Amino acid sequence: MTNSIGEIRDADFLFVIGSNTSEAHPIIAMEMKRAVRDGATMVVADPRAIWMTTIADKHLQIAPGSDVWLLNAMAHVIIEEGLVDETFIAEQTENFDAVRESVAKYTPEEAEKITGVPADDIRWTARKYATTKKAGIYYTLGITEHSHGTDNVYALANLVLMTGHLGKPSAGMNPLRGQNNVQGANDAGASPIFYPGYQRVDDPAAQAKYEAAWGVELSPEPGMNLNEMMKVVGKQLFGLFVMGEDIVLSEPNCMELEKALNKNEFLVLQDAFLNETARFANVVFPAGVFAEKEGVFTNSERRVQRVRKAVEPPGLARADWEILVDLANACGADWTYASAAEVYDELARHAPNFVGISHERIDTQVVDGPTGLQWPCPTPDHPGTKFLHEAGVLRGKGLFQPVEYRPSMELPDEDYGLLLSTGRTLYHYNCATQTRREPGLATKQPEAFVEIHPRDAKKRGVRDGDLVELSTRRGSVHARAIVSRQVRPGCIWTPLHFAEARANVLTNDAGDPVTGTAEYKVCAAEVKVVEATTDGATRFPGSYYGVGGPGPDGAQPVDAGARAE
Amino acid sequence: MSENGQNGTSTIEIEGRTLAFEAGETVLEVAQRNGIEIPTLCHDPRLDPAGACRTCLVEIDGWRRLAPACATKANAGMKIASENARIDRHRRSLLALYMTDHPSDRETSERGAPDQLLDMVEQYDAPSDWGWLETLRSDRPDDANPYIHFNPDTCIVCARCTRYCDEVEGVSAITLAGRGSQTTISTVDRLGLLDTTCEMCGGCIDVCPTGAMGEKTPLMRGDKPERELTKVRSTCNFCGVGCQLDLNVDPDGNDGKGRVVKVTSPPTGTTTNDGNLCVKGRFAYDFINHEERLTTPLIRNAAGEFEAASWDEALRVAAQGLMGVRDRHGADALAFVSSSRCTMEENYLVQKLSRAVFRTNNVHQCAAT
Repeated sequence: MTNSIGEIRDADFLFVIGSNTSEAHPIIAMEMKRAVRDGATMVVADPRAIWMTTIADKHLQIAPGSDVWLLNAMAHVIIEEGLVDETFIAEQTENFDAVRESVAKYTPEEAEKITGVPADDIRWTARKYATTKKAGIYYTLGITEHSHGTDNVYALANLVLMTGHLGKPSAGMNPLRGQNNVQGANDAGASPIFYPGYQRVDDPAAQAKYEAAWGVELSPEPGMNLNEMMKVVGKQLFGLFVMGEDIVLSEPNCMELEKALNKNEFLVLQDAFLNETARFANVVFPAGVFAEKEGVFTNSERRVQRVRKAVEPPGLARADWEILVDLANACGADWTYASAAEVYDELARHAPNFVGISHERIDTQVVDGPTGLQWPCPTPDHPGTKFLHEAGVLRGKGLFQPVEYRPSMELPDEDYGLLLSTGRTLYHYNCATQTRREPGLATKQPEAFVEIHPRDAKKRGVRDGDLVELSTRRGSVHARAIVSRQVRPGCIWTPLHFAEARANVLTNDAGDPVTGTAEYKVCAAEVKVVEATTDGATRFPGSYYGVGGPGPDGAQPVDAGARAE
Repeated sequence: MSENGQNGTSTIEIEGRTLAFEAGETVLEVAQRNGIEIPTLCHDPRLDPAGACRTCLVEIDGWRRLAPACATKANAGMKIASENARIDRHRRSLLALYMTDHPSDRETSERGAPDQLLDMVEQYDAPSDWGWLETLRSDRPDDANPYIHFNPDTCIVCARCTRYCDEVEGVSAITLAGRGSQTTISTVDRLGLLDTTCEMCGGCIDVCPTGAMGEKTPLMRGDKPERELTKVRSTCNFCGVGCQLDLNVDPDGNDGKGRVVKVTSPPTGTTTNDGNLCVKGRFAYDFINHEERLTTPLIRNAAGEFEAASWDEALRVAAQGLMGVRDRHGADALAFVSSSRCTMEENYLVQKLSRAVFRTNNVHQCAAT
C-alpha cells in the first residue's frame, strides 16, 4: 500500500476493485465502512455481489478478466473530459502521451460490451474518482491473479498518475496483501530476483555487497519463481525444501504437480501440521506456530510489527528460524544466531529501508499510537513512512504504461460453458490448515460450495443444495451448489479452502508473464448434479446473507427458513 | 479536524485547568486528552456518543442539571467540574442502582472478562446494599453459535455491543429488545446468531464493560478468568492487515508449557486495528493446541512410511538428501519454497540458505500465488 490503513477512514472516495474486503480483510473493511458512514462515496468493481456492494454507491459487476477494458475506459473518460491533473503529470510523470493514445479507442460504450458495466456507470465512476481529492484505490487478488495481472496493475497505476492521487493522505494505490507476512517475505528477499530490500541479484553491486557480507560467491543468475518452479518439478528440479506452505493444495493445476512430485528425488517439509504435501516428503521437521516464536511480520501498509513468543511449542517442535540455522549448519554452514533479533539485525544492516527498525526499537520506543514502524525507515531516529511518494515519486518520474486488453487464457466454450473464479471466505483461511482445525468455524461453513446463477442452474437442472460435480479440463471436485444471484449469469465461484474439494485441481496454471502469478480467477468449467438435495435448500450460507429473494427468473436463491431449524 | 477554524483560541475550563479544544470535540474527549479522569461505562471512541450509562456526569457552570461528558460538545468558555460532592453523590447512587440487579462478587460476575462496574463500585465506594431485584432481562438459551455467550445477569444495557454491531461491524445482528427493566440484548425473532447477519467478529465481547458478552469456549471449558491470565502482545497470523492481538496465556497450561486460552484485542486507538478483530483473529486459535500438531521430526523409511526421529538424525538425512541432489544435478536443481506465513527473519534465513549455502536463486514463496 502506498498509504496507511488508518487513512482509509478519512477518504472521500474509495474505488474497491477485485477485493472482497469484508471477507478477506475484515478489519480494513471496517475502516471502509466507517468512511462510508462518514459520507465517503464507494464504488465496488467485482464480478460478484459481495457484502461491500450492499453499502457501495455503485457496484460495477464486471465480467471476470475484463478489468483492462474497465480501467482504460475510465482513463479515456478522465482524459476526454479534461479531468487530468496537468501539473502532476508534467512535473512528476513521464510517458503520458503513450497512454493518452492507447486509451483513445477504449470508449465507455465499447467497454460496456466487454465488461457488462453500463457506460454511464463507467463515466460516473471516472468523474467521481478524478474530481475527488482524497480518492484511494484498493485492490486485492481479483486484480493480480490473472494471466494479465501486471497489466491490470499498470492500468490502475495510470489512473492514479493521471489524477495525481499519489503522495497524499487517504489516496494512492493500495494492494491489500493477502497473507500476514507476504510483504515481509518479499522484503526479506525470499524472491528469485531480489536480495533483501529489493536489491537485484543480477546487479553486480548488490552481488558484491552480499558476497562480502556472507563470505561466499553468489550466483548472478535470477532464479525461478514459484509458478515456474512448479512446472519443472521432476524435470529440472529434483530437490525441494518447503517451509510453511502446502504446495499440493495451493498451487494451480495441482494434479499435474502431484504427478511431477513423484519424479522429484528429495523433499524436506517444515510445517506445524502434516499437510497434503507431506505425502511427497522424505523428511518432515515439526515447526512452531506464531505464538511459539519471536520475530516480525510486515503488514500491507509496510508496518513491521512484532511476533512474540507466548507459549512453548509441543514436543520436539521448534521455531522455524532455529531449525533453519541447524539445517544450514548440517549442510556445512557456520551460522551462530542466538536470537531472531540477531537475524533481523543482519537483514537490516544491508537493506537501507530497514536499518532504522529493530526488535528493540519496536519493543521499547513505540508506546503510543499504532505499534511497529513503517518502512522506509533509514535511521534509528526516523519515524517511519506513513505514505509513500510524498516528496515526489520515488523512482523520480512516475512511469505511465500503456496496456492493451488481452483475454484470459481459458474462456468458456462448448464443453465447459461456465467461467469459474476462486477465492476466500470470511470463515476460513487459505488451505485452512489452521481454520479447519477450529470446530467453531465449521458451524458457519463446514463444506465446499459453488455459487451458481439461477439461470445457469435451471439449464443444468441444479437446485439449491444439490451436491454437484464441478469440473474443468484439469480435474473435478464435488461441492454443494448454492443457487444465488450473487454471481453473474455464466459465472460460478468456489472457495479454495477445502482439502477434500481442492479448487486447485480445477484452476489453470497459466501465469502472468512478469510475476508468474497464476490465473486463479478465470478458467472454463462445467457443473452437473451428482446427488440431488433431499431437504430442498442449502443448510449453510455461502459467503454472506446479503443477496436473496426471488429475482427476475423467479428462482429462490437461498431459502433462509431452511437454515433456522 | 482542525480545519474547522478559529479553535486555536477556543478553550474550556475543567477542574480549574484552561484547556484548548477542537471544534466538535466532546467534554470527555478534551478531558481524556489532558489526563483528567472521568469514569464511563458506555463510551467507546469508535462509537457515536450515547449518554446511556450516566457515569460520566459532570457539572457545568450555569447548567441546571448534570451533563454526560461523553455526549456534550465542548463550547468556548464552559466551566466544568468533574469531581465534587454533587457529582459524587449522583455517581454513587447510580452505581448502587446498577448493583441492585448485578452480582456483587467477582467469582460470579467475572468468570471471563474483568467487570468494570465492580471496579467502579470499589473505586467510588458506592453502596451495594440497596436491595436485590431479580433480573428481568431474557437471554437466548438455544443459541447454538460456537463463540458468543450472553449473560443477562451481568448486562447493564449500556448498548455498547449493539452499537458496535451497527456502527463498526455494520451488520446489525444484535439489537436492544423489550422495554423498561425487561430491555435486553437480542436478535430479530430471537434467532440464534448463526441464523442472523452476525459475522462472529466478537466485537460485542470486546466492548462489553461487564463481561455480559463473553467468549463461550473458555467459559464452558472452565478456564481461568481473564484477570489471572498473562497477556502477550503479538501480530495476528492470518491475513495481511497485521492486527495486533493479545494472546491470553494460562502459564500453568500444557504442563507448564503455557496454553493460549483466549485472544483479546488491544485497547482502541492504540494499534492499526483500532481494537477490532475478525472471527479468525479472535476465535481461531485452537490450532495452536491441536492434537494433530507435529511433535517430532519424521523420516520416511525404506517401506515408505514415516518414522519418528531425533533432530540430529533428521537434520543429517535432510542435509544429505539436499546436498545429494546438488551433487548429482547441480545447485539449480534445488528450489526453496519459503513462506509468507513465517516471520521476516525466517524468510531471510531461507533465502540465505538457498543463496549462500546452496548457491541458487531458486527461492520464492506464495506471494505470487
